[in-house]
Amino acid sequence: MDIRIVTAAFDPQSLCEQFRAARRDAGALVSFVGLCRAKTGGHAVDLLTIQQYEGFTAAEIGRIAQDIAARLSCPDILVVHRVGDIRPGEAIVLVAALSEHRETAFDAVRLLMDYLKTDAPLWKKESGPDGSRWIEARAQDRERRIKADERIA
Amino acid sequence: MRLVFFGKLGDVAPSHFSDIARPDEVRTLADLKAWVVRDQPPLASLMAATPVRLIVNQAVVHDLSQTVDDHDEIAFLPPMSGG
Repeated sequence: MDIRIVTAAFDPQSLCEQFRAARRDAGALVSFVGLCRAKTGGHAVDLLTIQQYEGFTAAEIGRIAQDIAARLSCPDILVVHRVGDIRPGEAIVLVAALSEHRETAFDAVRLLMDYLKTDAPLWKKESGPDGSRWIEARAQDRERRIKADERIA
Repeated sequence: MRLVFFGKLGDVAPSHFSDIARPDEVRTLADLKAWVVRDQPPLASLMAATPVRLIVNQAVVHDLSQTVDDHDEIAFLPPMSGG
């Protein structure tokens, strides 16, 4: 289990490769990269600023990841989440899972992303020509997380 | 006592909240929440409009009757959005 909160731009591809290379017992690697968009909800975005609660954020994401790994019997999970100022096109988050078979790895990555959207102690602020606004999890994100939980249970 | 605020709450929370003496009338987390609302109208209107979780010394709290100590760090968390 590897949970990292980073403040600088990161290369998802090389981190994934390091993650993969650390184990020889996996038959499947699934990864997801979330990117900063240049436009959301009709607003152009020049900058995305993400806040964390130092110490608590990493611990909570770790707790969520451990819980998901245990529920799915997923051997290994990697989460890299950037905080601070992020520009359009840059990676915000990398979630990857290694497992013996692909179903577990797909489920782990999807469920972990659903949880990050609603339960990770992070706060996003978008800034652009129209001003700045704090972003909250959407109702559909919460519904998706609940449905994913029910499917896995 | 250290009060920390995140997201939109942080935009209006006063900076001196990062190091304040516990008011005499604040014994529990419920007291603290009520005191913050009385003392800071901009925070009050935000906290009335959005659910806020309290975290004490980086531990999740479920019971607002929990007592507050002079050196606690209490975080006020509005709805979260990562990923």
